Amino acid sequence: MRITCPFCGERELGEFTYLGDAKPARPAVDAGEDAVFDYVYLRDNVAGAMSEHWYHGGGCRAWLKVTRNTLTHEISVVEPAAGVGAAKVGA
Amino acid sequence: MVGGPQTHRLSNGGLIDRSAPLSFRFDGKTFVGYQGDTLASALIANGVKLVGRSFKYHRPRGILTAGSEEPNALVELRTGARREPNTKATMAELYEGLEAASQNRWPSLRYDFMAVNQLFAPIFVAGFYYKTFMWPAKFWEAIYEPAIRRAAGLGRAAGIADPDHYDKAWAHCDVLIAGSGPAGLAAALAAGRSGARVILCEEDFALGGRLLSDGGTIDGLPAAEWISRTLAELAALPDVRIMTRTTLFGVYDGGTYGAIERVNDHLPSPPEHQVRQRLWRIVAKRCVVAAGSIERPIVFAGNDTPGVMMASAMRTYVTRYAATPAKRVALFTNNEDGWRTAETALGAGLQIAAVIDARAEVSPAHRSLASKGGFTVLNGSVSGVEGGKDGVKKISVSMTGGARAEVEADGLAVSGGWNPAVGLTSYHRGRPKWQDHIAAFVPDGAPPGMVAAGAANGAFGLGACLREGFAAGAAAASDAGRNGKAGTAPSADDEAYSLTPLWHVAGKGKAFVDYQHDVTASDVELAQREGFESVEHLKRYTTLGMATDQGKTSNIAGLAIMAAVSGKSIPETGTTIYRPPYVPVAIGAFAGHHRDETFHATRLTPSHHWAAEQGAIFVDTGLWKRAQWYPRAGEKDWLESVTREVKAVRGGVGFCDVSTLGKIDVHGPDAGTFLDRVYINSFSNLAVGKARYGLMLREDGLVYDDGTTSRLADDHYFLTTTTAKAGLVMQHLEFCRQVLFPELDVQLTSVSDQWAQFSVAGPKTRDLLKEIVDPAEDLSNEGFPFMGAREVALRGGLKARLFRISFSGEMAFEISVPARYGEALVRNLMQAGAPFGVTPYGTEALGVMRVEKGHVAGPELNGTTTAADLGLGKMMSTKKDFIGRVMAGREALVAPDRQVVVGIKPTDKARRLRSGAHIIPKGQTPGPDNDQGYVTSVCFSPTLDQWIGLGLVERGRERIGEIVHAHDPLRGEDYEVELCNPVFYDPDGGRQRG
Amino acid sequence: MAEFSWEVRSPLERALVAGPYGARGDAGVSLTEIRNFDLVQVMARRGKAADMAGAAKARFGVAAPARPEAVQISDAALIWSGPDQFLVLSKGGKHAIEQLSQAFASSASLSDQSHARVLISISGAKVRAMLAKLSSIDLHPASFPIGAAAATSMDHTSVTLWRGNDRTDGQAVFNLLVFATFAESLWHTMLDSAAEYGVTIARSEELA
Repeated sequence: MRITCPFCGERELGEFTYLGDAKPARPAVDAGEDAVFDYVYLRDNVAGAMSEHWYHGGGCRAWLKVTRNTLTHEISVVEPAAGVGAAKVGA
Repeated sequence: MVGGPQTHRLSNGGLIDRSAPLSFRFDGKTFVGYQGDTLASALIANGVKLVGRSFKYHRPRGILTAGSEEPNALVELRTGARREPNTKATMAELYEGLEAASQNRWPSLRYDFMAVNQLFAPIFVAGFYYKTFMWPAKFWEAIYEPAIRRAAGLGRAAGIADPDHYDKAWAHCDVLIAGSGPAGLAAALAAGRSGARVILCEEDFALGGRLLSDGGTIDGLPAAEWISRTLAELAALPDVRIMTRTTLFGVYDGGTYGAIERVNDHLPSPPEHQVRQRLWRIVAKRCVVAAGSIERPIVFAGNDTPGVMMASAMRTYVTRYAATPAKRVALFTNNEDGWRTAETALGAGLQIAAVIDARAEVSPAHRSLASKGGFTVLNGSVSGVEGGKDGVKKISVSMTGGARAEVEADGLAVSGGWNPAVGLTSYHRGRPKWQDHIAAFVPDGAPPGMVAAGAANGAFGLGACLREGFAAGAAAASDAGRNGKAGTAPSADDEAYSLTPLWHVAGKGKAFVDYQHDVTASDVELAQREGFESVEHLKRYTTLGMATDQGKTSNIAGLAIMAAVSGKSIPETGTTIYRPPYVPVAIGAFAGHHRDETFHATRLTPSHHWAAEQGAIFVDTGLWKRAQWYPRAGEKDWLESVTREVKAVRGGVGFCDVSTLGKIDVHGPDAGTFLDRVYINSFSNLAVGKARYGLMLREDGLVYDDGTTSRLADDHYFLTTTTAKAGLVMQHLEFCRQVLFPELDVQLTSVSDQWAQFSVAGPKTRDLLKEIVDPAEDLSNEGFPFMGAREVALRGGLKARLFRISFSGEMAFEISVPARYGEALVRNLMQAGAPFGVTPYGTEALGVMRVEKGHVAGPELNGTTTAADLGLGKMMSTKKDFIGRVMAGREALVAPDRQVVVGIKPTDKARRLRSGAHIIPKGQTPGPDNDQGYVTSVCFSPTLDQWIGLGLVERGRERIGEIVHAHDPLRGEDYEVELCNPVFYDPDGGRQRG
Repeated sequence: MAEFSWEVRSPLERALVAGPYGARGDAGVSLTEIRNFDLVQVMARRGKAADMAGAAKARFGVAAPARPEAVQISDAALIWSGPDQFLVLSKGGKHAIEQLSQAFASSASLSDQSHARVLISISGAKVRAMLAKLSSIDLHPASFPIGAAAATSMDHTSVTLWRGNDRTDGQAVFNLLVFATFAESLWHTMLDSAAEYGVTIARSEELA
């Protein structure tokens, strides 16, 4: 498999580390145990396009959001994580 | 040592170099062949017909094909450490001194004891393993399996390490082409002329594919001339790379292909500094599969008799190698193409006994060939072969209409038609589709970027191959963004190809479908009767197609027979899933450089070479080599060395290289807030110039890692991780920075390799450091208190960092200098410390002291423990959010009966404590119900003069003083231990603060 | 009071043996370790990428690389190392971390990497064939021209690779920064990869 890093270009799978589903968002501080439990443990088992976190640790160290079809391994979108590099988030 | 004459070599012709005779040995007998021969062609030229014994029945076998699809002619090539079993004689290039041996026979190929297996054939039917050797179960490993393995098998592995080297490499191109036949060469021309970067892989050592055997006229030139003209043109193009002896064996996601290059398999051993084979990973924008097609056998009784050969292979041996597999040839065909073998044989002056054509009609042209050649044409099918290890003698023919005929011949060429090589195109679970007019499966789509052309796509005519290959090459180049002028396609006429499908001829005797695995037509029929109708079941029950040839000559015949007996059509029956590799690939090639001491990359500490000079014993810790202990002359074992090192530290001063710890610069205005979120305790309130121990959890509430982090400036922290987790913690922190908390202004950099860091420990630490550190620096308790951290000047002006932290429980500092000064620092510590008896210590002594001090490490931070389990629950801040905070509060993680860290010591002071021993309450029977935990870390404590340890024990902290059992079924031990305070040494910490 | 010498030692001190290695004849690959350099990682603070670029321009007269490339100036090279970050490679302390900290004080975080890496320059007629055994990226002249850079991996180890100016004989030059503690291991892997082409091994104090 090859992933096109938005910064480095197309690279082989060995440069990347897979984390998993990129959908769940870390709950707010006061969200309660159930919300955090869902965030930590509950995952959809997607057959098709799935948004995933990948880390380009063997390259530029950017965390990426990769849309991958779990049936075909086709990668349709690769975006940087919100806080990659010096990206300014929020106010 | 020259052998006899090459009795079966034509006096001229062939692509062999008669000026370069090569002597070789087969089963101890010496023969001579020529440069340009394969082992198979050289054996044929010497009249050798019997080359092996079959897998199950030990039947005599000869050479069936002339390519990588060969199921029969498998030999052990070379000797000693280089002996390679199951080498296809049809792929092994001849070289001077080649040695090969037949397989699976004893005591000799001609007189094989195990051939008695044939007498027991009725029990060796499909599924015989499952039926015969089912019970008693305990007989399986002891008796059945060894017996079967002796009797049924292939070649023997060398059994010793392969002395040769293999490597792996990457290649990149626009257009990758598999095969150098007419379609492949035409594709290369079109793509290359268009300006594409082209790689063409050909598994043979000669380029041209079937053109080398079947010739033809292209653009008005004889095939051989056209090939050389084409190769010259390709060589002149800037970016066309042709790789011979290279098989494209697999296709992977994203346009990545696997290829194996047999760089030096054609030599007795690789020249110095060269590899035997190279594994290629080729990244290609487009791929044209011009891998051709494989002629298929027809299944009839005795079809495995030596001398029965594929018709196209016979042409190859005669035309390309000028070797004659037989003097009097019969041909059995169901198609037009098979007749070419009759023409070739006649042209070479061989006698033709008869052509047996299963089709009702034979063309007038072939009729006249028969009358010219003086042979008969029998309308019917071969139903049996008489012969044995000396080859074919007589052929029985069932004539259409019911009559029988017999033909005397010493060779039988068989053509059942052609199967496109659909492997590569089907490796992504593709299912090829059936084409009636060629009665074969052709690719139905292919992995992204790949297309089949020519015979691999079911287009068998020479003209069609050239047209399809050229068009595919041009399209592939254009898809890859190369739009130069491709010019005109080479052209040739298309030969007629008509066939009447014929898979199996009924007859008396074994009729083989899968030669290599000895699967017969009746095995397939039996499988159907027993309900294994699905082709996937058929394959596994009979092992059809599961041998090293992956059923290249057998799969389609097998499923055709299954279709017939189950009353379905062939496409309804379907194919099994195709999987790479297309040819066997040596494990050594996959390993490449990564074997023995270069199995993985190694990391060396800054003091490594100094430690090696001292005679240190090293231990692998992840990728690191770390000094484990430093033996001295006269010490009888590791324990004596380690004990000395511990005593030297506790009584004086020692140092240890701790550069392996992960080190991370955490910069930025929000660095403190960031650390507050990743550690359970607070760091935003840490004063500049101070260090603090920190503990990280995973989001599920369990402990992830620990280490000390120092604040070097308002916006600069220096974080350390454990050696084991260094990379993972960096990845985790980047995740926190980029994904979880992108609003925080923080920057992370690994500085693990920038600093050489040493722990200097023991009551005389200050005395030693005063010798090294600039006298202006105050190292007193007031000037540099416990947990202080700051930059200091060393004598000579070098800047270093000092951290007053202790893992040993002694007065200690960690000192770090830029890494290239690491070795100088060690030498200076040794020099300055000589008056104080300074002692370098390794990871063992480090471990002993941390256990004595009750510090947790890897065995306790094992992914199942909470902060409270480790006795660090109070560190968890209640004033802030941090990773793992919520989940750490779950009921199960705060349950009062959790297993927690406790000290453990045998009641018998002489007894050795072992890690892994289970803790069982006194008086209770050991077992899962009474298992209350286990010993995690142990050491011999020189300080306490006994073995001590740490363990995770249910409610351990409430049970200090209780006597329990350490139960160790692995070592057959059971002994009493006392649960105690985990801090065995200096529990109030006076020494490290002093 | 003892006097101490603070001698620097390259991580390749023992592994590197200057001279020929591998196949005899004209060496297809030259491996040169370049010693004693200053290397500083510059990482923009949040929202300060433009400020960092401006600071670089003021300091070096050229823009900081914003994509994978290496910008060569008379006394330094600025090498892209990731989004909004780059390395400053120089000699003799002129662009060492102390000298740069003021220039980037309000825009970037700096980290000294001078001792964290080993710098190896690789060239020769067979340089691409040899690197193909180590690197998964496409080093064809059209894909990786002079000045191209990559943050990538070799032997599962992170490296920074960039193409310098061609040698005077026209051969391409590839520069490689590898982590210091991996350097000896990777060096042996490089020798293994290059041995069949013949190697010339050297060390140098000069930046290419």
